[in-house]
Amino acid sequence: MSQTDVHDLAESMIYIVDDDSSVRESLQDLLASVGLASRAFGSAREFMDANLPDVPACLVLDVRMPGLSGLDFQQEMARLNIRVPVVFITAHGDIPMSVKAMKAGALEFLTKPFREQDLLDAISLGLGRDKERRKASALVDDLKRRYAGLTDGERDVMELVVSGLLNKQVAAQLGLSEVTVKVRRGALMRKMDADSLAALVKMSEKLKDASGA
Amino acid sequence: MTLRLLLLLGLALGIAAIDTVTDLEIAVGVFQIAVVLIAVRILPARAVAGVSIVCMILTVLSYRFTRFGDTEAGLINVLISLAAIAGTTYLALRLSAAIRTVHQTRAHLAHITRINMLGELAASIAHEVNQPLAAVATSSGACLRWMATEPPNLAKAQQALERIIADTHRASDIIARLRGMARHQAPSKQWLNVADTLNAALRLLTGELNEQNVTLRVHVEEGLPPMLADEVQIQQVILNLAMNAVEAMRQVDVERRILQFDVALESRQQLLFSVSDQGSGLSPSDRERVFEAFYSTKQDGMGMGLAISRSIIEAHDGRLWASSDPQTGATFHFTLPAVTRESDEPN
Repeated sequence: MSQTDVHDLAESMIYIVDDDSSVRESLQDLLASVGLASRAFGSAREFMDANLPDVPACLVLDVRMPGLSGLDFQQEMARLNIRVPVVFITAHGDIPMSVKAMKAGALEFLTKPFREQDLLDAISLGLGRDKERRKASALVDDLKRRYAGLTDGERDVMELVVSGLLNKQVAAQLGLSEVTVKVRRGALMRKMDADSLAALVKMSEKLKDASGA
Repeated sequence: MTLRLLLLLGLALGIAAIDTVTDLEIAVGVFQIAVVLIAVRILPARAVAGVSIVCMILTVLSYRFTRFGDTEAGLINVLISLAAIAGTTYLALRLSAAIRTVHQTRAHLAHITRINMLGELAASIAHEVNQPLAAVATSSGACLRWMATEPPNLAKAQQALERIIADTHRASDIIARLRGMARHQAPSKQWLNVADTLNAALRLLTGELNEQNVTLRVHVEEGLPPMLADEVQIQQVILNLAMNAVEAMRQVDVERRILQFDVALESRQQLLFSVSDQGSGLSPSDRERVFEAFYSTKQDGMGMGLAISRSIIEAHDGRLWASSDPQTGATFHFTLPAVTRESDEPN
């Protein structure tokens, strides 16, 4: 039962965007019955204009709406770098439509009327993914903050050390004494909170991935 | 049809006769192209070719029997006449084939448009009805969960049930609205002469009947009272039944393609229209099913014509039904209320 899956996700928010008020109301009630907080919007525009809390989230999006359609809104979100997982619900789905949605990264494409368990499963999967994504991005943010605390000299040393050079070689390349290199290396290990060279190498890779992405 | 053929033959013989009595230098035979041009309008392609050959033979014969004039000039004139007749026949047949293609393409296009419209309509009905259904299904799930909590949250469960009731009514309202739309507006009835109404509808079919070589027989009883009906809707029914009959006779020999229309006063209050074809008829089970929407015995039929026709006739307080006989094909009958003389005054 998904009730157990979703309980540990109490600190989360489900957004519902559907132009039909009774669909919105019944969805909110269903989510409340399994202990999930939700906010409902009548259009994609309202959702974009709203002030949203910074918690793990999942978006339940209707495909056919007046104004911005669900599929168009999905593209818009990608453009604006809004990375909430999306579960589509539609009253008349066809295959090309669902393929388009899934290719654009939707979690699930449900045809109304759907089994409520299918929706809850999709939402719980979405919340799980969003939580992981947020954890990973928080980690990178932390690393960046620590890296920013290094002096220029320490960054030069770090770059050469993670490429596998010994202290002596680093000193030769930078034109420094081996003692200076040792001091800087100790400082940067402490500032980056790395307990081994292997940990430092991993951090450096993550930083490169993040700046490359 | 026979009368027209005789007139055409008369015209051809007349031209040949004038050609014979005039000098050889005067190429009256060229005017046989008029016969060919008329034939193209009323006869199928093969018959037109036949008419054209008859015209050519007549032209040659009249050359043989002409007594006056220069034989050499006469020979050239005959050849010119023959070339003119042959050329005209060829071009006229090409033209009528092109016109036929245009007609067929247009009919095909209209059919596709209707099918697309129907698909659109079905999609929007599905969307409209699925919204409240989705809400009902979701509320039911929520209701079950509220009742399964420990202790059960009856207030929440009750709210969910109330929403379910409201959404169920909403779904049935949507369906009621759709049915209202499908039933057209109320017919705008007026006093109509039976024969005039029937003939106006059948005139629209002349082209189709000629093209399919269908003979039309109409028998309208003398002295029928006027009927109170929506002219356009009744003509729509007549056209629909007639088109079905024509289509049913596609595979039948040309001589047997007869479309028969009868109108009689069945009782003092009722007019009876009958449309009979010589097709293969209807099986007993199809006799009623053909009136169901989306049911069709035709390969590319939409199954809407007879369903709509029946709803029109019923809106006029009449009945529409089918009978079938393997010897004579299918007959569709419909009744309309008649207006007896004493109530002849328009209200």
